[in-house]
Amino acid sequence: MDLFLQQLVSGISIGAIYALLAVGYALVYSIYNFTNWAFDAFMAFGAIMAFIAIASMAMPFWLAAILAIVLTIILSVGTEKLAYKPLRMRKAPRLFMMISAMGVNLTIVQTMNKFFGGTFRKFTVDSVQPIFIGNVSIGRMDLLAGAISFAVLALLWLFLYRSKWGLAIRASSIDIQTSSLMGINNDAVAVIIFGLTGILSTVAGVFYGIKYAVYPTMGMITIKAMIASIIGGLGNLPAAIVGSMLLGVLETLVSGYISSTYRDLFSFSFLIVILLFFPNGLMGKSGDEKL
Amino acid sequence: MGYINAILILGGINIIATLGVSILTGYTGLFTIGHAGFMALGGYLSAILIKEYSVHFAPALILGGLFAGVASLIIGYPSFRSRLRGDYFAIATLGFSEAIRLLLNNMKQLGALNIGGSFGYSIPSGMATVPVVLIALFLALLFAHMFVTSQYGKNCIAIAQDEVAAEMMGVNLLRTKLIALFISAFYAGVAGGLMGLFFAYQSPSFYSITQSSNLLAAVVFGGIQSLIGPFITALVLVAAPQLLLVLEEWRLIAYGFLFVLIMVFRPQGLLGYVEMNFNFLKRGWNKLFPRKARRGEVLH
Repeated sequence: MDLFLQQLVSGISIGAIYALLAVGYALVYSIYNFTNWAFDAFMAFGAIMAFIAIASMAMPFWLAAILAIVLTIILSVGTEKLAYKPLRMRKAPRLFMMISAMGVNLTIVQTMNKFFGGTFRKFTVDSVQPIFIGNVSIGRMDLLAGAISFAVLALLWLFLYRSKWGLAIRASSIDIQTSSLMGINNDAVAVIIFGLTGILSTVAGVFYGIKYAVYPTMGMITIKAMIASIIGGLGNLPAAIVGSMLLGVLETLVSGYISSTYRDLFSFSFLIVILLFFPNGLMGKSGDEKL
Repeated sequence: MGYINAILILGGINIIATLGVSILTGYTGLFTIGHAGFMALGGYLSAILIKEYSVHFAPALILGGLFAGVASLIIGYPSFRSRLRGDYFAIATLGFSEAIRLLLNNMKQLGALNIGGSFGYSIPSGMATVPVVLIALFLALLFAHMFVTSQYGKNCIAIAQDEVAAEMMGVNLLRTKLIALFISAFYAGVAGGLMGLFFAYQSPSFYSITQSSNLLAAVVFGGIQSLIGPFITALVLVAAPQLLLVLEEWRLIAYGFLFVLIMVFRPQGLLGYVEMNFNFLKRGWNKLFPRKARRGEVLH
């Protein structure tokens, strides 16, 4: 039972990280209708920047995190300006957007691989002493990761639903052409969207790095976030969060009780089973294409 | 001579797999970044058939291809049926290939069979000679050309251009996509089998995400809706790194950079929409399917 509870907490904290990533994908997808493959590179970039700031410049954790977030926002917005905007202006097919995003991903990840090296590194963050509740030990970082992730998600919700810019973003997600006719500045919306993407990816990257390790291809776990958002149901932020929690917990239980080698295979088979029985995800609406 | 042979064989193998990706990504518009997984499945099955059951390599390769094709339907059917946008199919392929690779890496035993885990699975060598690969390549090219110029191929192109419009015109989306996926995975499976025959062993490390990126790169550089473009670039991408070993570690960085540059400045690729010319075969392809009809369908 103790082991189970421990796994549950660990699963929820990894689920919270998946939720951040899933929301980051959903933001771009809901407006621009393509999967931002470069997102996982941003995640690794943010984590590595924070790592370098802490390890070589001896910055305190919070300062390093802020620096990493700023740098990732610059990278993310730069990517949008250089690699996505020209294609969008030309109304290029989605396939071309995806290939371009994939190119950005390869470039960033491989550049980091070259200069940072492919080895796994540990964040040296103090206060890793776990908290004991009865016999259950809970990592402080697990708690912190969960709490901050939920705080970021709540702030994002407030921004999207209680601010004027949030209204602009939601209007753009319904129809970007009409919204620009109504006086919404599309370029500003794009900057905000990719800025938010940068924040989400860095927060997720830093916590994932603390929980496991920092390495250039750490962004591969964003596949899990995508799987989670499909499981939950597409185009629906609460569903993405529920899917992420579910996947995080189930995955942790599988690696805890069966074997961690089958964890990824499990997540993937779970996706196939869900798609077979719930073609639109657990909470999704009809997946039919809108014309 | 051995060096030239190696390049010819490896080039041929990569071209076969690239043709498969071209049918799926170039013609049908379905983005895949996990074709290495299908190569691994086909490769391991044909290797096991050859070594444990002493099957002749030709039927073993075909069975390996069919196995990869059937496996592709397992991920293709749920993701196409749910009408998820193409992106999620891409995620499914990526997840699938990574899961296969991890499984092969960690599995030392398959039933009573020792498949070696991450050390690889050795098979008798000397079967993938230049003529064998060239014959396989020729058949693959011929069949791919026949497919993309057939009614099925036209359906695929229609789907790539506009799914909704294609469905309105009576194209069965699910069936057409599954056919394209099956053929494409079949090609990957055969290529994986040949890879094992050439290296005389199978290893999960052949089938990493780098291999998938290479295949995608050949199609993107070579051109959308073209067989001859990816054919040429696949050969160049195999030969070039061997000639310029110094650049090896910069290769993927350059690929990524080129992806973006090509999409921004020349999205159709080097030879996009250029059809292979089989006039010398005098079979009257162009009479049956006038070039105009194919050339006219330019997206942008």
